[in-house]
Amino acid sequence: MIEALDLRLAIDGRPILDGVSFHVARGESVALVGANGSGKTSILRCLLGLVPFAGRAVIDGHDVVGEPVAARARLGYVPQKAAFGDVRAGEALRFAARLRGAGAGGIPGLLQLVGLAAHAEARVRTFSGGMQQRLALAVALLGDPPLLLLDEPSAGLDQEGQELLVGIVARLRTGRRTLLLASHRREEVGALTDRVLRVDGGRLVPGAERCAQVIALEKRRGGRS
Amino acid sequence: MRVAATTLVAAREVREAARSRWFVLTAACFLVLSLALSLLGLAGARRAGLAGFDRTTASVLNLMLVFVPLVTLSLGGLGIAGELEDQSLSMLLAQPVTRAEVYAGKYVGLLAAVWAAILAGFGATGIVVGTTAGGDVRAFCGVVALALLLAAATLAVGTLLSVALRARARVVGAAFAVWLLLVYVSDLGTIGLAVARSLAPGQVFVLALLNPVQQARVLGTLALTDRLDVLGPVGMFGLDRFGAAGLVAVLGAALLALAVVPLAAGYALFRKMVVP
Repeated sequence: MIEALDLRLAIDGRPILDGVSFHVARGESVALVGANGSGKTSILRCLLGLVPFAGRAVIDGHDVVGEPVAARARLGYVPQKAAFGDVRAGEALRFAARLRGAGAGGIPGLLQLVGLAAHAEARVRTFSGGMQQRLALAVALLGDPPLLLLDEPSAGLDQEGQELLVGIVARLRTGRRTLLLASHRREEVGALTDRVLRVDGGRLVPGAERCAQVIALEKRRGGRS
Repeated sequence: MRVAATTLVAAREVREAARSRWFVLTAACFLVLSLALSLLGLAGARRAGLAGFDRTTASVLNLMLVFVPLVTLSLGGLGIAGELEDQSLSMLLAQPVTRAEVYAGKYVGLLAAVWAAILAGFGATGIVVGTTAGGDVRAFCGVVALALLLAAATLAVGTLLSVALRARARVVGAAFAVWLLLVYVSDLGTIGLAVARSLAPGQVFVLALLNPVQQARVLGTLALTDRLDVLGPVGMFGLDRFGAAGLVAVLGAALLALAVVPLAAGYALFRKMVVP
């Protein structure tokens, strides 16, 4: 589902990613973990085509640079901090649905899923951080894409908001949906993913690939991850 | 580039412009001032025995030369920089849409919003003058078309500023500086340079070709009169060199080029832009 080959990224001459390669199979849930500034978000930005990078990124057989529309039609993205401009929730969903060729029929169901059914016509700027993140999740699920990219989706949310969002994403995990999560929250990683890739200094740490449940277990025992 | 995706982005821009207080306020000011000028012009025209449209067109031309660059430079400037700063651009570009479609859609949408405001202002003026007085309707329509073309050029400059400077505060400052330069400083600078460097009339004409406001001023004046003392040195030289039709063609082509070149330069930057 995801093929990243020798991803290299430099911004203003500063190296951000240095030869990152990995593979995520269809139906897998994988976490990118690492400290702030390690390069987790930059890997997602390469997969989304938001930055000019060297190397190759392929989403479900479509090259991110050569076939950007086809590649992005197969994924939904939830950023660390969602932003929609000055629009109503329903409007943001209808706009994204039309861009994705998804039709507006699924919007009420998605609003229900993320707990925003009563807020469809409210302005997004009046939403709390948690509500905005859940709306971003609804946008990401338009057209039922087979891949979800989540960039620290619960960062900045209170405990209740984090649990709500993680609970919704956990319910979305099915055999056919692939998940790539960038996070440094062990609870989130343990609850949502099966495999962990550790990123440090713009590189994947060799031999640091571990089962996410082990990390969660270590967390419960007070060990380091 | 897919027309449907570009149109969707453009339609969203029109809706967002309509919600922008700054845009609504300036469009309303343009409408009110256009109407006020036409009514005042008509009152004066009756006393002086002049035709309504001629006088009104001259008044609205001057208003347009100040207002259109002001609105378009700031609106174009905030277009991409605003979305970059609040991070909504990354969410848009994460959708199945190309950068060319987003860039073109944003420009076309903003241009449509500005054109609607211009047509509302001029339309109201045209109705007032048309129903109460006569005159040269063609000249009036020529100035309306000129306002639309000037908006396309200065919006392209604003869009280039937005992509190049990437932050609201920087873009607003630069847009205001460019507006001052185009509307007020450029004339003085050209005169100063012409005197200091003893520039030939042809060189002054070429300098004027770099300023869309100056081109619009000469073209608009030409629509009203071909009196050489009114046209100014640039117009005089152009009229002498190319004739009336030739001067319209040269300045029209230059104005169009000043819409296309900054737009293309902006896209070249936007295509490679790092989106946070």
